[in-house]
Amino acid sequence: MSFIYLAVPLAAVVLSFLIKNRKAIYGVVILSSLITMLLTLWLTYVNVSGGGNGLVLTMGILYIDSFSIIVLDIITILGFFIHIYSAGYIERDYISGKIDEKQVKLYFILMNAFVFTMLVSVSVKNVGILWVAIEATTLASVFLVGFYNKRESLEAAWKYIIICSVGIALAFLGIVFLHLSSTGVIASPSQVLNFTDLTVLAKGLDSSVLKFAFIFILLGFGTKVGLAPMHTWLPAAHSQAPSPVSAMLSGVLLNSAMYGIIRTMTIVNVNLGSNVFTGRLMIFFGLLSIAIAAIVILTQKDYKSLLAYSSIEHMGVIALAAGFFTPASLFAALLHMINHSFTKSMLFLSTGNILQKYHTTNISRIKGILKVLPVSGTVFIVGLLAIAGTPPFGIFSCEWNILTAVFSGKHYIIGSVTAVLLAVVFAGIVHCVFKMFFGEPPSEVESGEDRIAGTAVIVVLLIIVAALGLFMPDAAINLLNNAQAIISGGVC
Amino acid sequence: MTTYMDIISIFILITSFALVASKKITSYIKAFRIQSALLAMALAVMGYFHFVESGRIDTLVLCALIIALKVVYFPKLLNKTYDRVEHKVEKDFFMNIPMLILLCSGIVIFVYFIISGIGSFGNEDVTMQVVNMVSVVLIGVFFMITRKKAIGQIVGFLVVENGIFGAVMFGAEGMPLIVDIGIFIDLITGILIMGLMVFKINDLFDSINTNKLRRLKG
Repeated sequence: MSFIYLAVPLAAVVLSFLIKNRKAIYGVVILSSLITMLLTLWLTYVNVSGGGNGLVLTMGILYIDSFSIIVLDIITILGFFIHIYSAGYIERDYISGKIDEKQVKLYFILMNAFVFTMLVSVSVKNVGILWVAIEATTLASVFLVGFYNKRESLEAAWKYIIICSVGIALAFLGIVFLHLSSTGVIASPSQVLNFTDLTVLAKGLDSSVLKFAFIFILLGFGTKVGLAPMHTWLPAAHSQAPSPVSAMLSGVLLNSAMYGIIRTMTIVNVNLGSNVFTGRLMIFFGLLSIAIAAIVILTQKDYKSLLAYSSIEHMGVIALAAGFFTPASLFAALLHMINHSFTKSMLFLSTGNILQKYHTTNISRIKGILKVLPVSGTVFIVGLLAIAGTPPFGIFSCEWNILTAVFSGKHYIIGSVTAVLLAVVFAGIVHCVFKMFFGEPPSEVESGEDRIAGTAVIVVLLIIVAALGLFMPDAAINLLNNAQAIISGGVC
Repeated sequence: MTTYMDIISIFILITSFALVASKKITSYIKAFRIQSALLAMALAVMGYFHFVESGRIDTLVLCALIIALKVVYFPKLLNKTYDRVEHKVEKDFFMNIPMLILLCSGIVIFVYFIISGIGSFGNEDVTMQVVNMVSVVLIGVFFMITRKKAIGQIVGFLVVENGIFGAVMFGAEGMPLIVDIGIFIDLITGILIMGLMVFKINDLFDSINTNKLRRLKG
């Protein structure tokens, strides 16, 4: 029964399909996302209050432990906020004649299907089904990326589906090799590709085949995570999708794919007894992503793709931290995942307000945001400072923890390079974007916030982001520690 | 049985060379169809043995699915799409064909060295079949990046799928059935979505040349 939260978004899909009235659809999707959120928060509560080894539930192929619960909470909490925001955003597009009633329906059907596929991807213990769910996230979201049917959005959607499908196909090849490495060790058919069993049996797996499997899985899921050099779909898709969809893609989806990589990394590390092999690969791709993002951010002309490159950078930071595989760096990686998700979703939602005022994503054509949109403008500027890594926000403390973990592991060169690149990103964000906020707004833009609910959502998210940086309840620390222990698999 | 599987895996590899060598969209759809038929043949034999030995019918079910989808439905869908969007034959590749073939041979040799470097998968026969299938996957990816037309990219994707499916069958004798079914559902939806998007691209850009999709750079 506890897995009922999987059924709620599915019910929302069916209801959005059946209900004729536009406003009723908004009500249904907001209610269903609220229920999903409450159900997973309840599971979190059960997990935290139960203590123990972090296992929450297991039933057949379904499985949740502390690590899954973290990603699940990110999906459902942000899912709830993004649905509230979407209702207002889509209603405004509808009133301004940009989209018709059919598209409103399609939007919520696909959005809930998208949430459902992400929930499945973190609630199973079979790597094969995890793969199927991650591939399904691409299929559910591709029309959301191409939602406005313009040339640019169609181009972005085509890039998205082709690059991600091929990438993820390579991940499947990796999963085939994972399966091959376990032949002879597996006792019963129910253990096939089961990451809990594979972690227990890891010592007996064939190391050389397993290494090969990890390379393909990292390349494949890495495409979906947006690790350089497989990131090319990401800036296009994030900048062309409607803002709430960008928030969902960047804040939520990237984590689900990262989840897949980290789960396999545990198996490989337990098998090899150290993190040297996986660590080198993860650190290489992580640093490369940070470097490429830093260079591109310096010369960025479009504020939504600037945020997209910033996501590539932060995914690089998470990969780097996970690659080091010490208790401290894993803890920081998980915390960074949470902080990045909330901050980035908040930023993408605020760009939605800006975009609907100015009708452009070009930085040079926007002036005087703080005068036109006093609330969203303030949230956006504070959010940019947070994402760039200014204290006291959570991103800063995570990056600080990660760098501390790197330096205390005596990796001075990697640590210094990372620190310099993060500084370049900071400079790039300040240099490119801050001129948007000041000066006289163009005369045709009328000032004032339009959508109360949408603006309230981003303010609430800002409060959460600020709180995450200042204070961590003991329960959250326990949860993160349990998850870290699960990922480390006893190796570190 | 092993000799038979070896021969089929080699033929599957040859069809992917035929794919790279073909000039027209219709001919590479044909090459894809032949490749899928070969895969289905391999599955049919394997399924027969599974059925006789342990009464399992899942491999035969998969074989039927492959025939229905990859041999019949997808090629038909692609041909129909092609008829509706394209009215003239255009040059559809960036490099000339001998060059492409040469590079693909390089891919096979590369895969051979990598895979023999990591040891064997139980026995040597399987290793050879896995080499062939991984080569098919990489040739499929290579095919996708060297073609300009959107349909070519869909065919390339399907060939990648074929290669992976082959690797599953030859190397591991199948995945859990639920995973296989999931993959097929994803595959059908994926191909339908891609086909639909080809129409949209054709409407908005008056062509299905994906090198016209270059507004979003940097």
